[in-house]
Amino acid sequence: MGRYVIRRLLQGLLTLFITLFLLHYLMALSVQIRGNPALLFFGGERTPDPAMLAQVERLYGLDDACYDRTGDPCLAPFVERMQNYARGDFGTTLTGNQDVGELLAIWIPNTLRLFIFATITLVTLSMILGTWAARHHGRFVDHSVRGTTILIDSVPVFLVLLAYVYIIAVPLTNWARGIWGDESFMGQLFRPSYSADYPWVTIIIPGIIVGTVGLATLTRLVRASQLENLGSDYVRTAKAKGLKRMRITVVHVVRNSMIPIVTGVGYTFAYMLSGAVLTEGVMGIPGMGRMIFQAVQRQETNLVIVGLTASAVVVITVTMIVDLLYAALDPRIRYE
Amino acid sequence: MAQTLRVVGDTLPGADMNAPLLEVEDLQVEFAVRGSRIPAVRGATFAVEQGQTLAIVGESGSGKSVTSQAVMGILDSPPGHITGGEVRLHGVDLLQQDAETRRTVRANHIGMVFQDALSALNPLWSVGFQIGELFRMHRGTSRKDAKLKAIELLDLVGIPDAKNRVGQYPHQFSGGMRQRVMIAMALALDPEVLIADEPTTALDVTVQAQIMRLLRQIQEDRDMGLILITHDLGVVADVADEVAVMYAGRIMEQAGIHQIFERPANPYTKALLKAIPRVDTLGQELEVISGLPPNPGALPGGCSFHPRCWAAEDKCSIEDPPYETVATGHRSRCHFAEEVYRDER
Repeated sequence: MGRYVIRRLLQGLLTLFITLFLLHYLMALSVQIRGNPALLFFGGERTPDPAMLAQVERLYGLDDACYDRTGDPCLAPFVERMQNYARGDFGTTLTGNQDVGELLAIWIPNTLRLFIFATITLVTLSMILGTWAARHHGRFVDHSVRGTTILIDSVPVFLVLLAYVYIIAVPLTNWARGIWGDESFMGQLFRPSYSADYPWVTIIIPGIIVGTVGLATLTRLVRASQLENLGSDYVRTAKAKGLKRMRITVVHVVRNSMIPIVTGVGYTFAYMLSGAVLTEGVMGIPGMGRMIFQAVQRQETNLVIVGLTASAVVVITVTMIVDLLYAALDPRIRYE
Repeated sequence: MAQTLRVVGDTLPGADMNAPLLEVEDLQVEFAVRGSRIPAVRGATFAVEQGQTLAIVGESGSGKSVTSQAVMGILDSPPGHITGGEVRLHGVDLLQQDAETRRTVRANHIGMVFQDALSALNPLWSVGFQIGELFRMHRGTSRKDAKLKAIELLDLVGIPDAKNRVGQYPHQFSGGMRQRVMIAMALALDPEVLIADEPTTALDVTVQAQIMRLLRQIQEDRDMGLILITHDLGVVADVADEVAVMYAGRIMEQAGIHQIFERPANPYTKALLKAIPRVDTLGQELEVISGLPPNPGALPGGCSFHPRCWAAEDKCSIEDPPYETVATGHRSRCHFAEEVYRDER
């Protein structure tokens, strides 16, 4: 078990390192091909004073000669960046000169909150619906669960979000505030936009909406793996052992069907990032998704790299947790 | 002689200790498939007494496993339905009991050993947990004591170093050892009847013999009734007291083991016996029963075996033969049972 964990951790670190380097190389290429982002500092002015440009380039670490040679991997700036990250220095933004580290301290928790609510929604809904469908497989319940989840999944997230924000949120908020008051949990819950004063409550609804992305896939995964287990020989043995139905379900069915489900949740988590971009945009949540999108638009090289690094860390961490869960769930993997 | 049930606190209500241990009478099982009902077991009747071994022999699809699952009450339903008959344990018809009573009968009164122990054991739990679970769920034993009981049982079924192996997982055991674990599990709550459904089919020949010996020995030690389900008449010879031969959901012949081997009264049994490889027929071509078992959805009229029968006459395709007694404790379902019995056919 110990060796398994160490191997997975090392693999995770290696993946992270390769991701970081690829990100760096891609950004270096974009600077080399698309042009110097330091020009942005001067707004609309096309030909700034060369001395000032050089100073700005130095300030943002863009003065290395490698940025003029297309295809150069720019190793020196990469090493420097890694050293800065290790010290907790994530640089500043091009526009506004804000400290990226401080911004991350606001953005990352918001996105994590969004993911927490989304994951809870996704796992709960798909487990309940999938189990229900498996119990009644081939019958009306099964077909209607499939139909409904595919319908929910095929409506784009932004459409659901827009419908919520412009049609449902305001009347619902007014109604809730009329009963429970402005400052109450319910009064804040249905707000059409994020509020920095209520960072948890106002992210619940957006989280639930993001959680419906991938619902159909995961529900069918739960259904399929439970069906497989319900018909398995060891469930028959459990019946022959005179165990109660509840005991059989919890001990001999659910745990055995968790492996594909855990895999599915891992995948969907990575997939949720794209949902987060839209959701954070529409609901005005200052989070990683919205930040990365805007950084790409504004050619904020540093922000893009930091943002994508953060999301890579999240995806790699989740993958590693999934791998460790496998080992916790299945002794055959643990002793491999 | 009135005798208390072995399981204190789990006594079957209304049990009569003078009644036979387990009797199955005219058991009917059907499968509902795509709107039609397909008969799987058509009137099985047999009994097992304490300390006795009954072998149910038949080809695949003859209904022997379905019969055992129906007796055990673990038939997958749907599609399976018991449509008639009785399953009496100490005179109590189990089919009339509520689900909760039936549940406690399992493992407490009737234990079951399955064919493929690798898939019949849950791969995610240690064997100690799976055996101990029985004590914890049925007797309220603590986790620690349940583990001790599991070690005791593993020791009993001949697993060396049981103390260390109790925490291991099914995939860490060999095929024979896994089957021993299955047997330990079936024995845990000291049932009066043990049903072994093809317990040796998935094993090597040498291991098969060991497992059969173990089953026999445990059955004698504990004075249990044993129902041995198999497709291999050869396996049966050493262990069974009684044999019931099944074909297409029906019992074709039932008699003591010597009767069956020496004086079969049914053409099907005779054909089966000829198909057993023997040392004294070495080098000769093995006899086979031509054709395939009938599709249960489209059974032939008359006697179900007639299309493959070497003794069939016109009558056999029209009239269903009665289940008749040819000698004491020897019954056969054939129009020519008497003649076959006297070896005139």
